[in-house]
Amino acid sequence: MNPSLIHTLVLLTIFTSFAAVESRNLRHATVAYLFQALLIVALLVAYSTANRVLLYWAGTALVTKAILVPWFLWRATEKTQHETRPVIGFGISTVLLIALLSGMYKFTHTHAGLFTSPSKEMAAIAATNLAVAFTVFTLGIYAILTRRDAIKTVIGLCLLENGVHLSLVSLAPGIRETALIGIATEVVVTVYLLLYIIAGIRDKFGSTDTFQLSELHW
Amino acid sequence: MHNEVASILPVLVVAIPTAAAVLIFVFGRVGFWVHETLALLGVAGAFGCTLAVAHQTIQGTALESFSRQFYADSLSSLIMFLVSGIGLLATIYSLKYMRQHAEHAELPAATSMHRLTVFYGWLMLFVATMLWASVSNNVIMLYVAVEASTIASGLLVAFYWDKRALEAGYKYLMLLTVGITFSLFGCVLLYAVGASMIGGARGLLITDLRQIAGSFPLTTVVLASAFLIVGFGTKAGIAPFHPWLPDAHAEAPTPVSALLSGVMLKVAIYALVRTVSIFFPGFSPVASFALGIGVFTLVIGDIMALAQDDLKRMLAYSSVSQMGYVLMGFGIGTQLGIYAGLFHVLNHAMAKALLFLAAGAVMYSTGVRRISQLGGLAKKMPVTAFCFFAGALAISGIPPFNGFQSKLAILVAGGKAGNWWAVAIGIAASLVTLVVAAKAVKSVFWGDMSPAVAAEGVREAPLSLTIVMVVLALLCLGIGIYPKAVYEPLKSAACVLQTIPHAEGSMIASQR
Repeated sequence: MNPSLIHTLVLLTIFTSFAAVESRNLRHATVAYLFQALLIVALLVAYSTANRVLLYWAGTALVTKAILVPWFLWRATEKTQHETRPVIGFGISTVLLIALLSGMYKFTHTHAGLFTSPSKEMAAIAATNLAVAFTVFTLGIYAILTRRDAIKTVIGLCLLENGVHLSLVSLAPGIRETALIGIATEVVVTVYLLLYIIAGIRDKFGSTDTFQLSELHW
Repeated sequence: MHNEVASILPVLVVAIPTAAAVLIFVFGRVGFWVHETLALLGVAGAFGCTLAVAHQTIQGTALESFSRQFYADSLSSLIMFLVSGIGLLATIYSLKYMRQHAEHAELPAATSMHRLTVFYGWLMLFVATMLWASVSNNVIMLYVAVEASTIASGLLVAFYWDKRALEAGYKYLMLLTVGITFSLFGCVLLYAVGASMIGGARGLLITDLRQIAGSFPLTTVVLASAFLIVGFGTKAGIAPFHPWLPDAHAEAPTPVSALLSGVMLKVAIYALVRTVSIFFPGFSPVASFALGIGVFTLVIGDIMALAQDDLKRMLAYSSVSQMGYVLMGFGIGTQLGIYAGLFHVLNHAMAKALLFLAAGAVMYSTGVRRISQLGGLAKKMPVTAFCFFAGALAISGIPPFNGFQSKLAILVAGGKAGNWWAVAIGIAASLVTLVVAAKAVKSVFWGDMSPAVAAEGVREAPLSLTIVMVVLALLCLGIGIYPKAVYEPLKSAACVLQTIPHAEGSMIASQR
């Protein structure tokens, strides 16, 4: 396992998350998400030198995250590619990202006992990986809460799930393939169904702006 | 402790409705009768298997399959009984109810056929995934099954495909998926620590994690409990994670509403207590936190229910409140508290399914669901009025109905454990529930007939709808009059959560 390669990959993962959240063009955001999925696959392959099981994870991530989900998102953005203006813009998002990453890094490195690793070096890598995973997860929630465009909220959901996937590498590397495939498959089906319903929303409401979803109150 | 016997039944109970769903999707174009027959066979088969499982678990035998990945004890049997039993009644109710939708929606025949294929196919998958959650002993697959039940019901919530249904469907899928993801973190933490103690294969099994939970580090206990409560609690409608619930339960077709409120919430609370309760003996603050959040939920639910004019939304908020009662019972943490919580799970499942189905019968006949637009309906729909009245009394905790018995048990358990503040709030909230129910009964069924009710063509619901409602009403009354009938199965289920390997110094030990 090459620590510098892994650090480069995880930092690029943060960058692609931010690009996916902040890009105002939904197709650009989809491409950023695709790059992130490929980075996660590369990360899993890099980790697999210490744990061969992670090669299965890389294969699952390649099919579900790097092929199926981007394909669904690409199809869903055929009619509209411009995102509805979000609630919070670029500047505040940048400040929040830096604060978030610093906080997560400190938390995971002071609570290293949450996971077990055979060596000190691997424990440090696992802690960094966990910090990045929690940051990507929180960025996903941030996107869901602050983006008005329904398709962007689905991209937020995908980021959130990527954060979970990354965290599993540190927390549960020995997990069975059946459980992993179950988790990965559910993400794909959920994204498909959400985009299917959002297509219906576009037909009935005339846009994918979630602020227009105001039929149901209290 | 249960004796364990290898059996295929826990797998069959999931496989039968899944197979029915596949057949419905494949042969859906043949005719309405194909959907209906396959759905009935699928859910009746699951109910039959459940009875066979319950027959053994009640005698203290647990059934396991695939190296204990599937595991049915008396607690699982209780949830399986609710899922398949109310699933069967909801499917019978759907036959006429959904046929009316298909015939009156002014859609082309092929479209109607497709819509009913979607309805019955996903309905079977919904039932199957909830049964899967009931028998999953693998902590990660428990999460997968609970999330699968959200996916299976997503299109059912958006079934009517109008603005309201689409909004409800989007919120339902998005909020629940985000919420339940937190429970995945909780499950993974349990596994990660468990696997480091007893190995990867055993670290996945809830039954084995229960044996070692007392040795978990405090940080893990706090983080895992918080993640599990937020995750499964979102799905169970626990406040403040409940906003998806009134939208989804109100906008779904009525038989689905009955399953969402009557059963799905119980499956989620089952997942919650099955996992979090492993910490109860050694870490009593976890139980106290559950008690606090339960009381908060019942207050919020009741206040919101009071403000509703939409009959189904009112019932949905009432479900939030009643889930607070259930969590309160579990949070008390004593043997009586857990027994009472499970008793209320059973009673609320029946009463709330009954109320939603009665509300559906009102909509079926009048086409109206606003309380302010209804009135005097008892003159034209006496059976529905009786059934709604029975359900309203049951959830209000009025004797001789079943809700009285379980609410009384929760309050007594709270008093015995010294949680008088919770008892006082519980009694006050119960009075508010009574006001909400009385307001609905009076406005919808008593007084002068409103124009919508006086209109020609408004009459009692068809026999297949009323039979289902009468069965549930009689069960509510029967259990209320003779609670001993369910005492043994509930006691046995409560004992599963009371397995205390590390009881020394625990809250439960101090109650004894």
